[in-house]
Amino acid sequence: MKTTFTVPSEEESLPLVLSHFSKIDQDWISEKDWLRCELALVEGFTNALNHAHKNLPAETKIEIEVNITRENMEIRIFDSGPGFDLAGYIEQLNLEDDFSPTGRGIRILLKIANHLSYTRTSDNNRNCLLIVKEFAL
Amino acid sequence: MMNPKLKIIEPEGIFDKNKATEYRQLVNESLAAGSTIILLDLQKVTFMDSGGLGGLVMIRKAVIEAQSQLFLCSLNEQIKILFELTSMELVFNIFDNQEAFQQKIINP
Repeated sequence: MKTTFTVPSEEESLPLVLSHFSKIDQDWISEKDWLRCELALVEGFTNALNHAHKNLPAETKIEIEVNITRENMEIRIFDSGPGFDLAGYIEQLNLEDDFSPTGRGIRILLKIANHLSYTRTSDNNRNCLLIVKEFAL
Repeated sequence: MMNPKLKIIEPEGIFDKNKATEYRQLVNESLAAGSTIILLDLQKVTFMDSGGLGGLVMIRKAVIEAQSQLFLCSLNEQIKILFELTSMELVFNIFDNQEAFQQKIINP
């Protein structure tokens, strides 16, 4: 199943994101997987909000698409920011330093996701953060 | 009898960066007022993200600098996962609930 929703770029959107997400829970997803996916979604969303949309008005929408199958969940977060070299950023990140406030959200995403990428969309207008989480059997 | 140096703080709802900043202020006020033991009871926190966790790390730092002690209790499954993913369960002193905290720390 697939669901798509958009929210304004503001901190007040977080409860909305959580509420949209809670409506698509499936009985085959374990609580542990579900909570990890929820956390990954929020970390991706706040990254879009605080970094990609840092200099954009609150009306600029963030679009979220969630695809759930029996095997996995794919979360896509579309932003209208200038783009960013996530792979390069991850390379220079100290993944072992749990106290560093820098990149804590990304470190969490890396631990949860089986696949993580941030790419320009084909229409070249937006960026897409793709988070894929394979469910535990 | 209430321990005069114990301050119990019970945040509610979504604990994000902004909420953490509010509570950091409250903790600082408690430390300034002479509290030496701070208990953050997270029972009513529905969700915490990395921003909220970052705030907790700063609260911990402030408490240590004031030569006081910080304890957490009543973490829900979501917060436990967040702590596990960031190895924070090894950093904070965590109790299952207020009763367990009272038995171990206040009335041992």
